[in-house]
Amino acid sequence: MNELNRRLTLLAVLAWSVPLREVDREGHAHRPDGAAATPADTLSAPPILPNRSAVPGVVEVTLTAAPARLSVLPGVTTDVFAYNGRVPGPTLEVHEGDRVVIHFHNELPETTTVHWHGLHLPADQDGSPFNPIAPGERHDYVFTISAGTAGTYWYHPHPDRRAGYQVAKGLFGAIIVRAADDPLAATIPEKLLILSDNRFRSDGSIDLPDPNSPQGRVDTENGREGDVLFINGQIMPTIPIRGGAVQRWRVINASAARVYRLALPGQALLQVGSDGGLFERAVKVDEIVLANSERVELLVRGTAPPGSRLTLQTLPYDRYVPQTRPVDWNRTRDLLSLTYSPDPPLPAVALPATLRHVPVLDTAQASATRVIVLTQGMINRQVMDLNRVDIRGHLGTTEIWEIENLVGMDHPFHLHGFRFQVLDRNGVPEPYPSWKDSVNVPKHETVRFVVRFDGYGGKWMFHCHILEHEDQGMMGVLELN
Amino acid sequence: MMRWTRHAPGMALSSVAIFAIAALIGPRATVSGRSSTAGQGAQDRDLVLRGRFLIISHACGDCHGGANNPAAKGWLAGITSPEQEFPIGNCAGAPAAGGAPCFKTRPRNLTPDNTTGLGRFSERQIFNALRYGLRPGETPDVEITSTTPGQGNFPAHPKYLAPPMPWPSWRHMPDQDLLAIAAYLKRGLKPVVNKVQDSEGPPDFWASAYTVEQIGPHPAPAFPTANEKAPQ
Repeated sequence: MNELNRRLTLLAVLAWSVPLREVDREGHAHRPDGAAATPADTLSAPPILPNRSAVPGVVEVTLTAAPARLSVLPGVTTDVFAYNGRVPGPTLEVHEGDRVVIHFHNELPETTTVHWHGLHLPADQDGSPFNPIAPGERHDYVFTISAGTAGTYWYHPHPDRRAGYQVAKGLFGAIIVRAADDPLAATIPEKLLILSDNRFRSDGSIDLPDPNSPQGRVDTENGREGDVLFINGQIMPTIPIRGGAVQRWRVINASAARVYRLALPGQALLQVGSDGGLFERAVKVDEIVLANSERVELLVRGTAPPGSRLTLQTLPYDRYVPQTRPVDWNRTRDLLSLTYSPDPPLPAVALPATLRHVPVLDTAQASATRVIVLTQGMINRQVMDLNRVDIRGHLGTTEIWEIENLVGMDHPFHLHGFRFQVLDRNGVPEPYPSWKDSVNVPKHETVRFVVRFDGYGGKWMFHCHILEHEDQGMMGVLELN
Repeated sequence: MMRWTRHAPGMALSSVAIFAIAALIGPRATVSGRSSTAGQGAQDRDLVLRGRFLIISHACGDCHGGANNPAAKGWLAGITSPEQEFPIGNCAGAPAAGGAPCFKTRPRNLTPDNTTGLGRFSERQIFNALRYGLRPGETPDVEITSTTPGQGNFPAHPKYLAPPMPWPSWRHMPDQDLLAIAAYLKRGLKPVVNKVQDSEGPPDFWASAYTVEQIGPHPAPAFPTANEKAPQ
């Protein structure tokens, strides 16, 4: 492992996808005349899936999942599963109201699905375990992007008992839903940050231990965490910024089990959105706990002096049972370098006071309150059975779901197909309305949310989004009619 | 093998009592959900009172709160101060000096409070905790018919109750007695809100400490063994 660690250290300085120009240790590119210049931008976003349709309002793309051999670490190659030959997969970019057709081809040696995490679509297009796609099969996913759902989402496999394995092998990608009237889009540059982690053997292969090995049991309990942290498949990339400038960051936690506690020591962050898009107003935060499958939208303002170098970090977060808490759980880990140019600051950018209207769901209309009890590997004291319906509900109704975590480990809860609004966390009212599809339920705490079931009936999954817990059956089936 | 530095008071005495009771009780009872039909009230009361007797006589309150007095404050509601924690292992010697790692376990709230006690667990889960040592929060609510991991609904990776909970002895109680204890805890007690911090311990959740070699067979070997003699 020494050799690998040495390579990783080297990579942390250089980053492997640096454009072909001279870069010094501080990440500054040098102009031929020797004058200091804008720091190199080494964070590359995945490409946007090309739209094959010329029809306005239609997005038609091709997505293939297949084995590939890529260099995800310096100096070695790794056998991965990849969407369109890359990790992370290309980004699906659409607009509200678009008709989306995805021609999917499963070239994997095993059954898969593509789950469009957070999107409101017909149940049979959701890529849940009810609709597996066998090796070699093709399937067209067809759905329409609902109005008012502009935001940051993602896609990943969701086959029965194999989601953790397939995501660990490299299958995940971003979805950006844009609104015609986005208050920020025109003036503010955007960065996409897909957070993932992985664990490798010294030969570069992905370390997926036998479930009965000591490490396998820890992975089963905690969910599988890796010691190599990636942003868009890159290690410790650099984003340049100029004083006074503002950037919009869309951040996705695509890790199977790692929960990020994000901070940018040296400056506060403005959170402007969550899973389902923008808030009504920006909220100043010092740090953000981003559980598995959650997303945030941030405004990063260049408030530090010219030439500063700040580091986006993930701070220690204790989500573990005491028995399997990793020995280095309390280590702060660096994710990304935010490097200020030496240029004098630009004039401050004016931000709109109101971002968009977020309608508040009316709890007085709730026709049912469901109690969902989470224990280790189980929901309501049972493991999932695809032949069993756990909750029966009706379209056109509003419900309150009370998610109680009875055990000493966090469980991030995800409901398919329908966004919700958190009412309170352990009795503390949520300070402002926002659209969520995943919410962390910390150890021994209770989270209540309100959800409106409109549009699409059928069978929907709800589950713990620690992928190893999901695969163990910490999941249930909701049937709406 | 870890070493308990402290034992639940009265453990040795209770073990004697268990075998005496076991000899008097009949065949395996069905483990099922509670019945709520009218006319069962008297039977339910008898069951709950039997559970109360077993809990007092087995000194549950010595660790879980209230000693032997159901009228005491904090009766079975779990620990409320660090002095009531159990240090397990050799706390005096640091690991570097050859001492075993030391960790703390904490008797839980056994009252039927929904979030801090046993309220969200079924009587069958409590039965499975007492018979097999399986933690109710990490064991499905199903009838278990084997003690081999992965078979007969016994979890492939069992998560055991923290020491010094003496379930290896108390599992020898007949089904009906364990069900009576579960009935008392769920139906004969008022809920008390008291959050007890989780126990610490080894990553295998004490699985290596609870093998047949360590805790003996269940059911116990036929009488008389080599140490015993049939009465004349």
